[in-house]
Amino acid sequence: MTWQISIFLENKIGHFERVTRILREASVNIRSMTINNTVSGWGILNLVVDQPERGCEALVDGGVSATLREIIVLRMEERPGGLDDILQKLAAAAVNFDNAYGINHGKYAFLIVDAGNIPDARAKLKAVGVEPLTPEESYLKN
Amino acid sequence: MFWEPEIETLRRGDLEQLQLERLKKTIQQARQSEYYKQKLNGSGVDLSLVTHIRELPFTTKEDLRGHFPWGFLSIEKEEVVRLHSSSGTTGNPTVVYHSRHDLASWANLMARSLYCAGIRKSDVFQNISGYGLFTGGLGFQYGIERLGCLSIPAGAGNSTRQIKLMRDFGTTAIHAIPSYLGRLYDVFLEEGLDPRKDTRLHTFVIGAEPHTEEQRRRIEEMFGVKAYNSFGLSEMNGPGVAFECTEQDGLHVWEDAYIVEIIDPKTLEPLPDGEVGELVMTTLDREAMPLIRYRTRDLTRIIPGPCNCGRTHRRLDRISGRSDDMFIVKGCNIFPMQVEGVLLKLPEIGDDYRIILQTIDDQDEMIVEVEVKREWFRGDLNFLDRLQKQIVHLIRDEVLIRPIVKLVEPGSIPKSEGKAVRVFDNRNSYNTKSQ
Repeated sequence: MTWQISIFLENKIGHFERVTRILREASVNIRSMTINNTVSGWGILNLVVDQPERGCEALVDGGVSATLREIIVLRMEERPGGLDDILQKLAAAAVNFDNAYGINHGKYAFLIVDAGNIPDARAKLKAVGVEPLTPEESYLKN
Repeated sequence: MFWEPEIETLRRGDLEQLQLERLKKTIQQARQSEYYKQKLNGSGVDLSLVTHIRELPFTTKEDLRGHFPWGFLSIEKEEVVRLHSSSGTTGNPTVVYHSRHDLASWANLMARSLYCAGIRKSDVFQNISGYGLFTGGLGFQYGIERLGCLSIPAGAGNSTRQIKLMRDFGTTAIHAIPSYLGRLYDVFLEEGLDPRKDTRLHTFVIGAEPHTEEQRRRIEEMFGVKAYNSFGLSEMNGPGVAFECTEQDGLHVWEDAYIVEIIDPKTLEPLPDGEVGELVMTTLDREAMPLIRYRTRDLTRIIPGPCNCGRTHRRLDRISGRSDDMFIVKGCNIFPMQVEGVLLKLPEIGDDYRIILQTIDDQDEMIVEVEVKREWFRGDLNFLDRLQKQIVHLIRDEVLIRPIVKLVEPGSIPKSEGKAVRVFDNRNSYNTKSQ
């Protein structure tokens, strides 16, 4: 399974920095990130890192509300229309998602999809011939 | 000058004689109730002076709740014509019953209060107050009608409509909670109107929540009116208990209808006029539910000396705080326990919480900070969003005002040690720290 780390974050000075400091000390490398913020003064920080289990453990030990959340990572061409290609396939497969963000990786780019029901989304993608990346590929371990 | 000159200017000695007679009657009446029949059993107090009331036991809110629903009823059920009740679903509410006589007497006190603040039959009175179980609606309504004004039972909220009513019918006087009036003024400005020029308003009655003298002066300045302080509590009927006269120097408490005492909330000993303590009240003109030495938990003092208006009924100062942890927001009485009761029902929420009272855009708001338990966190924004809305909804159902709910990281609220300080009052209007 492929994971992102999801972190509950208050919109206050120093809270984001606490997270990055812990990951630095654990030698965990961040590949991509996104923050969903709400008007109520808090949000969720999502991170794709090279070692999600290690990163999440360090964060929880450090008193951060962090959890591993399953994602699907798809490869797309790094050119105009690359994202459209993949989204057309997702739409054809009737895959709905709650959140999505990207990683640039030279010739390719990755689309990270956070869907409510991951097994269902995987089955639907398989039916239209889309093969998600493996965890190793997703985390860009060198 | 006076609604009832003979009563309002009664000589002190005669007023105390009247109180004594009515107190005796009240005790007799109270003994008809299950609660006082037991409580006053055998207490053969020699009542030759009003101050002898000190020999009688206190009555508390807990007593009222503990003998819910009928324990304090002193007349036959079929003689009761109305009840008012406190909000809340945790524990028993506080209910007050009224007979036809009680309602007539309340309406008269209310009319007397309004007259005292300079309101007359020729006025058009708009009551911007919630109707229903809350006493500020019907309490004022009957008083306005008794006085003979044209009443506009506008209810709370919807500022645009309030302004339209004022302009359509030439409203001259209104009753509202002070924290609402800043909002109302903004809506006047948004509509390109100046309340000083575009309305006929001249008198405001403000009450049901604490406010400072500066806040009153600001309201007067904004609207070009005179604003008078109103004090009441549902256990003593509601509004119409004590009211400011046009001197604006303290609230005359109607001593033909109530005996007031100020006590030290710790030693329970009486305090002399001028000293701040807890207000204790006894009803003198109620049939359905007389209350004897009721501890209001409101802290105030009796202003010594006579008032220039000529009324002999003594004056209460502004309420300066509470001897318990109740606080008032948007006219609603709220106990931290009510909020806690709601939060305890939610497994996703930790035990620690904080209530912060703050003035935002001229409105007093209740902010509730809660911690989401780590084990419930799944990185799901929708879940947290739903949880937050659910908490808002549940608290609103309980305390009747809409809170601002903030989810915070676990561990960010200081752990409670013993009796934790849960309420932080940062409002502009409130100068006394609650708890």
